[in-house]
Amino acid sequence: MSVSATTSETEVMTEPVRKSSNKSVWLITPGVIWMLLFLVAPMLMMVYVSFWTQTTFKITPDLTTKSWVTFFTSETYLNSLWTTIRIWLIVLAATLIVGYPAALFVGLFVKNKTLQTALLVLCVIPFWTSFLIRVLAWRPMLGKEGAINLILMKLHIIQQPIEVLLFSELSVVIGMTQIYCVFMVGPIAFMMGRVDQSIIEAAQDLGAGFWRIFRTINLPLTMPGVVVGAIFVSVMVLGEFATAAALSGRKVNLLGNIIVTQVGSLKWAFAAVVGVVLTVLMGIVVAGLLRVVDLKKEL
Amino acid sequence: MSTVLSLAGVRKTYGDLNALDGIDLSLPDDSYVSLLGPSGSGKTTLLRVIAGFETPEAGTVSFKGERVETVPPHLRDIGFVFQNFALFPHLSVEKNIAFGLENRVENPITDASVVKTKVRDIIGLVGLAGLEDRAVTQISGGQKQRVALARTLVTEPSLVLLDEPLGALDANLRTRMLTELRRIRQRCGVTFLHVTGSETEALAMGDTVLVLDQGRIAQAADADTIYNEPKSVAVARFLNCYNLFSGAPSDGRFAGPDGQFPLGAEKRFSSAVPGYAIRYDRVGIRPLDAPVAADEVSLPATFVADEYSGPAVNSFFQLENGRVVEVETHLSVAPAPRCKPHARYALVWKQNDALVYA
Repeated sequence: MSVSATTSETEVMTEPVRKSSNKSVWLITPGVIWMLLFLVAPMLMMVYVSFWTQTTFKITPDLTTKSWVTFFTSETYLNSLWTTIRIWLIVLAATLIVGYPAALFVGLFVKNKTLQTALLVLCVIPFWTSFLIRVLAWRPMLGKEGAINLILMKLHIIQQPIEVLLFSELSVVIGMTQIYCVFMVGPIAFMMGRVDQSIIEAAQDLGAGFWRIFRTINLPLTMPGVVVGAIFVSVMVLGEFATAAALSGRKVNLLGNIIVTQVGSLKWAFAAVVGVVLTVLMGIVVAGLLRVVDLKKEL
Repeated sequence: MSTVLSLAGVRKTYGDLNALDGIDLSLPDDSYVSLLGPSGSGKTTLLRVIAGFETPEAGTVSFKGERVETVPPHLRDIGFVFQNFALFPHLSVEKNIAFGLENRVENPITDASVVKTKVRDIIGLVGLAGLEDRAVTQISGGQKQRVALARTLVTEPSLVLLDEPLGALDANLRTRMLTELRRIRQRCGVTFLHVTGSETEALAMGDTVLVLDQGRIAQAADADTIYNEPKSVAVARFLNCYNLFSGAPSDGRFAGPDGQFPLGAEKRFSSAVPGYAIRYDRVGIRPLDAPVAADEVSLPATFVADEYSGPAVNSFFQLENGRVVEVETHLSVAPAPRCKPHARYALVWKQNDALVYA
């Protein structure tokens, strides 16, 4: 009696499991097809094209490593790779320095949930205008006769306008930091808000002061937010070209700018090489960041 | 016995609500004090004021003879065990326990081997041996409770506040932890202030029991006194073992909407709210026509239902006006009553078992 009851029960148990795995296949199919068609296939295509033979007016599918050799032997292109990495590191550090305290403030000191949301929305408001306007708006701000120079001169802090403010690497860093900072603030503030208040109180009760609590509790508990923010910022900054084009006066050439000019002159094979290099670079950066924190465990 | 903590006239309001409305209390050194109060009576607020997470609007908090109202929590020598444990989720059991020793502002211990020894001792005391390297997310509720307690005790505070420490545990584990808590407290020789909403827990644990009602201490006494002689109707109600009747004494009887009880040798308490209380287990069930002695009170009622709990049976009777009266019969001293549904009985008790508040 009991044996037969058990067997019929297991049959009942296995049935829905098989059904649900069928169902999960159907649920994932559209996504997989989409990714294969529009992500994996184009990437493979790009790798393939990077080995094509490029002549001035024509590109033929005869495999050659000429474009790759050109990239890794030309000082211009290696410099641009280095510039990209340098700008990325500086902007990443700058967004962290500006963003972390802001997130700390919103997530820790603003107790009112509504005000918290309002402050985060405030960070997003610049995104209501177009990207180009946001970048170009820095010109009247940073220019030789721009707002900052005018104000500093009027206050007699400087006698001569600071020329390095615009059309330099500095202006590119300033512009990018402003644009991408919010991607750092958001995830960190989110993680900060998730830290249970009673945990902080417990640490206080055990005798720890504010900075000790920050270092031993808040900082490690918000690391996942920092990593997510860093991934957002890294991916966007590494692929950037518009800010550099608009604010550097052609002095800063990122890998993105090279792709734009190469595609502009129909040098598809070479653009593909730069694209592959950029993708690999991003892959390394993201993989490295994910090593820092086990996101699956934290989220 | 010296006093470790004393509060005088402590007030705290949230908007219109008087969370604490003039608290006076003093806790003796080296004892287990339980604080009983229904939800919303200001229990947690009181603990938070003592720990320093809230500042009282009026009154004084003296700890070991010094005023501490404005001292921040991390500089008070008071431990707090949180209701939800509040363990540090990113640290192991061992690191959680070592946190206070390593990170406190006042004389932190920098010698790792001293920390290790102290942590090992406390882990042995609370019974967590073998779990040192586990993540706190991978241990059971009872173990989390022990980590929370160990984390506080290892810093050797002079007073430990426990905010409903057993609320998150299942009934079985709760009874076990009660004995554990008493044992651990005795070994450490500090004062525990155990806040709870459960009257059985409060009576079982406390050398002294404080009853909190509407932001005031309604009674402070040993468990036996609290149980047998609650000072007011409110205290009797929290104990959850008294039938309470409203009304007022006049002409040798206590008259109210539920009946008239002749007054004799009852214990009397002066109280702002008048009332008449008789404990569930002091009431006998007799046939309606059975004789009633001169010092007894009889109240006719209709049997509704009963509840068997093992050592006792609780029977529920309804009065004429719909009011329900509960009778507890201990099966070790009397046979089960076996009343017939909807039948009328006489509920009888001795006058000197009743408590009268006037």
